[in-house]
Amino acid sequence: MQSLAILEETALSIWLRESGAAFFSSLTLHSLSMALVVGINFAIAFRLIGIVPTFDLKPFLKFYRLHWVAVIVIFLSGLALLLAYPAKALTNPVFYLKFSLLTIGLIISAWLQNQIQTHKIPGIAQHKFFWIAVASILIWIGTITAGRFLAYTNSILLASRFF
Amino acid sequence: MIEYLLIFSNATGIYGFMNTPWGWPIIESIHFFGLSLLIGTVGIFDLRLLGVGQGIQYSQMHKLVKVGVFGYSLNVMTGIMFLTTAPDQYIYNPAFQTKLFFMIIAGLNMIVFYLTTAHAVKTTPADSYATHPAKVIGAVSLLCWAMVIICGRLITYFRPPYHWCWFC
Repeated sequence: MQSLAILEETALSIWLRESGAAFFSSLTLHSLSMALVVGINFAIAFRLIGIVPTFDLKPFLKFYRLHWVAVIVIFLSGLALLLAYPAKALTNPVFYLKFSLLTIGLIISAWLQNQIQTHKIPGIAQHKFFWIAVASILIWIGTITAGRFLAYTNSILLASRFF
Repeated sequence: MIEYLLIFSNATGIYGFMNTPWGWPIIESIHFFGLSLLIGTVGIFDLRLLGVGQGIQYSQMHKLVKVGVFGYSLNVMTGIMFLTTAPDQYIYNPAFQTKLFFMIIAGLNMIVFYLTTAHAVKTTPADSYATHPAKVIGAVSLLCWAMVIICGRLITYFRPPYHWCWFC
């Protein structure tokens, strides 16, 4: 807790917390990039499940470039939000749940990208890909839900108030 | 207006549910789920109009839009739940008003798309670029939905809005 309090007292943390523009920009960029990443993963999952028609996934790889750029923005903006209120996130189990789900979701993304690149996904989705797509949708829903619940489940806002 | 919205919220049980400990975050999660569906379908189609993902048939890609409409419906329903539960936080909030403005522009933009370029876009070969008007429509749509997200964040972050709204 003391180390979190020290982190809170750094100039960067104070600026991120107290500058309206810095905090709001981080929050907005986090939401925009999250919507883009989740959206692209939903689109691919819907294609594999068969909700949308069987378009060729190979050209869809171009959207993956955008996807990974958005992932970098998610991590950078998430880091800024974490630095602004480190105790708020790091003392909350929901934060670790969100981070774990996000990591699993991105691993599935990378795996699916590899499968598309190596032509392992046929026109009609196989049984294996169907269930991975279902898992992907559930994991992204879990990530979104954990993200929203983060704002409502923290017990500590600032560690420095304990010292 | 506020009174009628609250009467509706109470009569339908929305107010009671939203004021349970987890009511608001559950509906927020569904709202963001709907938004992601919208961005993942309509947003992706807009990007396709702008030239990303060359090689994917426009007509096939357009079928994703149906999923986006479902996401949009979720957003409208959950949005009504927020609005009717705390109408004073929304009706007079310029961020909410701006969000509605961009939603209207996005709607009008969609009507223009279906009245003008939709047929031409659907018949455009996968390896060709969409027409210039279609690209403009795609760019306007993307911009509108980005602004809807930004204004959506502003609603809660700057609540109440009196200290920052320059035109109130």
